[in-house]
Amino acid sequence: MTLVLDTEENEAPRERSRGGRRPELRRLAPVLLPVCICVLALWAPAFVFHTEPRAMGTGLGPAAWPRGILALLALMALAWALRDLWAIAVAGRGPSLTAAHEEESYAWGKAALGLGLIVAYGALLPWIGFATATVAFMSIWCLAGGLRNPLAIGGVALCGTVGLLWMFMGLALMPLSRGQGVFNDFSIALLRFLGIY
Amino acid sequence: MMDTLQLLGGGFGAAFHLAAFTTIVVGLLVGVVAGALPGISFVNAMAMALPFTYVMEPTQSMLFLGGIYVGGVFGGSISAIMINVPGTPASLPATWEGYKLTQQGQVKRALAIALTASATGGLVSALVLSFLSAPFASFALSFSQPEFFAATLLGLVSVIAIAKDQPFVTMVSLFLGIAIGTVGVDPLYGQARFSFGISEMESGIRFVVVMIGLFAVGEVVDLLATNRSLRPSGTRARGLGVKFSDLWGVKWAIARGTALGCMIGVIPGAGATPGAVIAYGVEKQVSRRRDEFGTGVPEGLAAPEAAKNATTGAAMVPLLTLGIPGSAATAIMLAAMMLHGVTPGPLLFIMDPSMVYTIFAAMIIANVLMIVCGIGVAQAFSTLMRTPPAVLGAFIIVLSVVGAYGVRNNIFDVYVCLAFGVVGWAMKRIGFPTAPLVLGVILGPLAERYFLTSLANSRQDWTVFFTRPISATILGLAALFILWSLWPNISGLLRGRHARKA
Repeated sequence: MTLVLDTEENEAPRERSRGGRRPELRRLAPVLLPVCICVLALWAPAFVFHTEPRAMGTGLGPAAWPRGILALLALMALAWALRDLWAIAVAGRGPSLTAAHEEESYAWGKAALGLGLIVAYGALLPWIGFATATVAFMSIWCLAGGLRNPLAIGGVALCGTVGLLWMFMGLALMPLSRGQGVFNDFSIALLRFLGIY
Repeated sequence: MMDTLQLLGGGFGAAFHLAAFTTIVVGLLVGVVAGALPGISFVNAMAMALPFTYVMEPTQSMLFLGGIYVGGVFGGSISAIMINVPGTPASLPATWEGYKLTQQGQVKRALAIALTASATGGLVSALVLSFLSAPFASFALSFSQPEFFAATLLGLVSVIAIAKDQPFVTMVSLFLGIAIGTVGVDPLYGQARFSFGISEMESGIRFVVVMIGLFAVGEVVDLLATNRSLRPSGTRARGLGVKFSDLWGVKWAIARGTALGCMIGVIPGAGATPGAVIAYGVEKQVSRRRDEFGTGVPEGLAAPEAAKNATTGAAMVPLLTLGIPGSAATAIMLAAMMLHGVTPGPLLFIMDPSMVYTIFAAMIIANVLMIVCGIGVAQAFSTLMRTPPAVLGAFIIVLSVVGAYGVRNNIFDVYVCLAFGVVGWAMKRIGFPTAPLVLGVILGPLAERYFLTSLANSRQDWTVFFTRPISATILGLAALFILWSLWPNISGLLRGRHARKA
C-alpha cells in the first residue's frame, strides 16, 4: 500500500522532462480520475432508492446522510482536480498520484492473468463447488507463479484443499459451496470420504 | 486499594489453577492464529468459539474468550507486518510502518517492536481495568449519542494525519469509503439505499469483505506480477535482529499509544481501530521523524500497536461495570455471560467479585503470555514466508475468499470482495490510498447512526453536539487535530506567499 506518496518537489523535474515530449492533453490525463469521481458523486444521489421512498416525518430522512457525503465527495474530488490542473498546467509540478515504484519490472500480463484467475475462481465457486474450484485454482495459480514440479503443484493443491475443507467445513461447520449437479455429488462423496459428513 | 489488591490476589490464585490457565493459553493461541489469518478476524473466532463455552463454567468461558480477544488483537499485526495484509482492521497501521520494515529485511525487529508494544499496552490496560474500573465507568456513563458521534468523528478526521501530504486525495478516499458504508438499510428508518433491487445489497456491504478484497487481492496479484520473494535475505535478517535499544528507543511511543488506547478503549463504540489510527496520527505529529513516516519508522509501528492492545482491557470496563459492550468482541463476551445467567453491571462487583477479579487477573496473564504465543505464531509465519510466493499467494486468496464467505455464509460477499480486490489492485497501481477508504467503510455507518439518533433524540436540534460539554470537547479536539495535521501545508503556503512578496 502506498501511503506516503512522492512529494511534489521530487516529481517536478521528472514531469518537466517528460512534459516536452508529451502532448498537452495527455499531460492532463491524471485530472480525469477526480473529474470522473466528481461526476459520479453528483450523479449517484439519483440512485439512492430503488423503489419509491416511504413518506417521512420531520427531520432528516434516510437519504440525507448519503447525499451529504456524496456532496462532500464531489467537492473534494473537484478540489483535487483543480489542484492537479493548477499543478500540471501552471506550476509545472506532478499530479497528486504517482504509480507504485516497482513499475519497471511489473509484468502486466501476469497481473491480468492473476486477476482473471481470482475472478474466475469466485465466479465458478457456486457452480463447481469449493473443493473442485480450489484444487483447480491452486494448481493454475502455482503454475502461473513459476512452479513447474507436478508433484509439488499437485501436493499443494490437493493437501491444501483437504486441509481447508477439514478446517472450515469439518471444524468450523461453515457451509461452503458443494456445487451444482454432478459437482454436488462429487463434493458429497469427497466429504464423506474425508469423514467430514 | 488494599481490597482491590486482595481481590486481585485471589483472582491470580484462581487463574493459575491448571484448568483456568490452560483455558487462557488455548484461547490466546486461537486468538493469535485467528487474528493472523487474513480474513479470519478474532471476532469471527470468538463467535465460532461461543458454542464451545456452553460446556464451560461462566468464569472459564470468560477466560477463554478473553484470551482470544487479547491474542486476536495482536495476531492481526503478524500478517500485517509479514505479508501486508492486516488480519484485523485495528492492524491497519501496522502495514504502513511494519511491512516497510519487513521489505527492508527487518521482519524480526518489526515483530519484536509490535509484540513488546502490544504486550505493554495490554498489560497497562489490564492494570487500569483492575484499579480504575469504577471511576472510568462513571465517566462513560455520561456518554450519549452526541458523544459517540464526536468520538467517531475524531477517528475519521485522524486519517488526514495519515497522509497529510495529499489532503484532497485522502478526503476523496475517506468519503468514498463512507459512501460505500451507506449501502443497505439505514439505521433509523429501515429503508434500503443503493440496493439497485439486489436483495443482498439491502443488508449492506461489510467492512471485513471490503478490507479483505482491497488488501489481499492487490498484494497477491503484485506478488505474481513482480515475482518478488517474501524471504528476507539471510545476512540482512541476521544483521538486523532484535536489540534492546530497538525496544528502548520506542518507549515514549509505546507510552503515548498506551495512554491513548486506555482513554479511547473505555469509550463504548470506539474500540481498537480508532485507537490504533488516532495513535498513529498523534505519533506522526509528535515524532522527530514525522517526515519519514510511511517508510518503516519504528515509532509509527509501536504507538498504534500499544494503543490497540491497550483498548482490550479498557473496553472491558463498560462491559463489566455497566453491561455495555463497546465492540463486537465485548458483545460476544456479554452474550457468553448472559448464556450462563450472569448479568454484568455494578452488582456483579458485589455479588461475584471473585469472578470479576479472576477475569482481571486473566487479562494480565494473557498479555504476559502473549509474548511467548506471539513469537511462536510469528515463527510459524516466518516458515510460511520461506514457501514459494505462488503457493503462499494461492493460500491467501483461498483464505480470503473463505473469510469473505464466512462473514454471512453468502456467496454475494465473495463477489463483493473480489470486486474490491480488482479495485484495490488498480488503486495500488496508481498510488491511490486505500487506508482512508477502509476507515470510511468501518466508521462511516457508526457516524451516521450516532449523528441521526442524536438529532432524533434532540428534536433535530443541531446545537446538541456543541452544547454538551464532553461532545463539544471531543469535537474541539477533532478540529484541533485537523488544524495540527494540516499546519505544515498551511504554513508552507503562507511561507510561499511571503517569499513571493519579498
